[in-house]
Amino acid sequence: MLKALRIYAPFAINELKRQMAYKGAFYLFIFISTFGSFISYYLWMAVYGSSESAVLGGLTQNEMVVYIFMTYVTGCVVTISIADWVSDDIVKGTVSMNLIKPIDYRMSLIARALGNMIYRFLFPGVIVWIGLEIYRVWGLGMKATGILTILAYIVSVAMSFLIFVLFDFCFGMIAFFTTYIFGMLMAKEALLSFLTGQLIPLSFFPESVQKVFDFLPFSSMIYTPVMIYLEKYSQKELAFVLFRQAAWVVLLYVLGSLIWKKVTGRLVVLGG
Amino acid sequence: MIEVKHISKDFVSAKKYPGFKGAVKGLFSNEKVVKHAVEDISFSIPDGEIVGYIGSNGAGKSTTIKMMTGILKPTGGECLVNGINPSKKRKENAQNIGVVFGQRTQLWWDLPLSESFSILKEIYNVSDEDYQEQMKFLNRVLELEKFFHSPVRTLSLGQRMRADLGAALLHNPKVLYLDEPTIGLDLVVKDNIRDAIREINRKYHTTVILTTHDIEDIEELCSRIIIIDEGKKIYDGSLENLKEEYGTMRTVTMEVKSVEKLQKLDPEKEFGTTPEQCRLELDRENNVCQVTFDKHQIQVPQILSCIMELTEVKDVQIQETELAEIVKAIYRHGNGEESKC
Repeated sequence: MLKALRIYAPFAINELKRQMAYKGAFYLFIFISTFGSFISYYLWMAVYGSSESAVLGGLTQNEMVVYIFMTYVTGCVVTISIADWVSDDIVKGTVSMNLIKPIDYRMSLIARALGNMIYRFLFPGVIVWIGLEIYRVWGLGMKATGILTILAYIVSVAMSFLIFVLFDFCFGMIAFFTTYIFGMLMAKEALLSFLTGQLIPLSFFPESVQKVFDFLPFSSMIYTPVMIYLEKYSQKELAFVLFRQAAWVVLLYVLGSLIWKKVTGRLVVLGG
Repeated sequence: MIEVKHISKDFVSAKKYPGFKGAVKGLFSNEKVVKHAVEDISFSIPDGEIVGYIGSNGAGKSTTIKMMTGILKPTGGECLVNGINPSKKRKENAQNIGVVFGQRTQLWWDLPLSESFSILKEIYNVSDEDYQEQMKFLNRVLELEKFFHSPVRTLSLGQRMRADLGAALLHNPKVLYLDEPTIGLDLVVKDNIRDAIREINRKYHTTVILTTHDIEDIEELCSRIIIIDEGKKIYDGSLENLKEEYGTMRTVTMEVKSVEKLQKLDPEKEFGTTPEQCRLELDRENNVCQVTFDKHQIQVPQILSCIMELTEVKDVQIQETELAEIVKAIYRHGNGEESKC
């Protein structure tokens, strides 16, 4: 365990350093994604303004503000698309450079993603989060979020991160079969923003559709931690959703291992 | 000790048709094309040997290297590197090998070279003392200090190749695979790289397997060469042996006082050889006489004395057939002759 930490920690640290090396791209990312959040903020404010009932999809207007910005913070930290890296490695043939080292390819990707996650948590994440809390107390007049809720949220986000990354690894494996998955990556992004609740809270969907979502890993990626943050779960429900997240982590881990085993048998290294 | 036993690798890909019509047809057809990249190759390499693995483009060299490093799984046969099967125990095998693919880099593109080295130190579990010692050695043979703190993407090709070689050697591997390590380098850097490889082999008794298109690499480094063509092994043996077997022709070029006097000379009568075994060419303008002959049939003194009897010789040059010529001939003939190893 300690040895693994020593081997993979440099990947995380280097990813952090790499992110800092490309500052421009990162500021652009912050700008574009916050822009998106503000669009969705004004849109929802208009929806609440013209609606007759004060509660939509189980959320009040103020809760909606928290929902929008917390999905932004959670999304920043969780959705680190390692499938991009996998497809890049395969298209350029650099996957071979990973395979000549005595390391696990998936672990090295997860470690890199972790470095990326830490950076995103520090940079837009925590700043937006604190800004939101300040606005929540002084602007909206709600009470500040309790420590226990924050702790539960952090635990849940950590698992969300693992679920997303493990899922994305499996998704990236498609590149081994089709070589080029740019189109599929775009489709994945569009579908995920819908299925994870980034676009519309999942509670807006009809009961039956929500039941289906319960059986998919996507709701555990962003929707679950944000609802925990909003204290929408009773204690019993909280234990259940956390357990469900843990189950997805294990399931996707095993699935990824199986696919990887299958895939390395038919690996083709491109470009000489 | 590396043992490769009847290894083969097939690549299966979808069949492609030419033209736009063909592209549409390709969408609906499910035909597969099997390409035999490597077919039934066997050899074994003892510790501490430098082996040149050569073949024309697309002969299957890199594919074989990739199977020996555990990146690709062979379709048939197996290979053992120090008793470990790389396709089954990739990580365990990776600990003992160093690999340089000339056209790629294993360094972290965006980070200073020093960072890449410190990551590799952790990955291969190199102790601090070993690291210090190995860095001292690598700095001496590869001169890494000058660019040790520059980001890898800013390095020149020669610097990057030296850095890559250093990275492959940091953990002092028992086996070193070099896939075209001198590709695109200038003569000075090539020399440095060759010196480094030689020194590493001498100091640590490292087994080196080298693929290259540069014949000089082979001549300077390798004691043994394996030639493959279209996935099949066509030669395995020592360099001298290859020259002996394929390069028996020698050329003597002489500057003489008068060429006219040599015109009547008939090598067939004089030495009792066939026209293939001995050929005489005269250059009237420069007064040069060139004799190409089979060194097993005639000796140089015989020719010299014969010509000196007829005219005065001012200058003599003797050329061996170059390895490059031999290899070219072998590639052109394809697998004309099976190896005699």
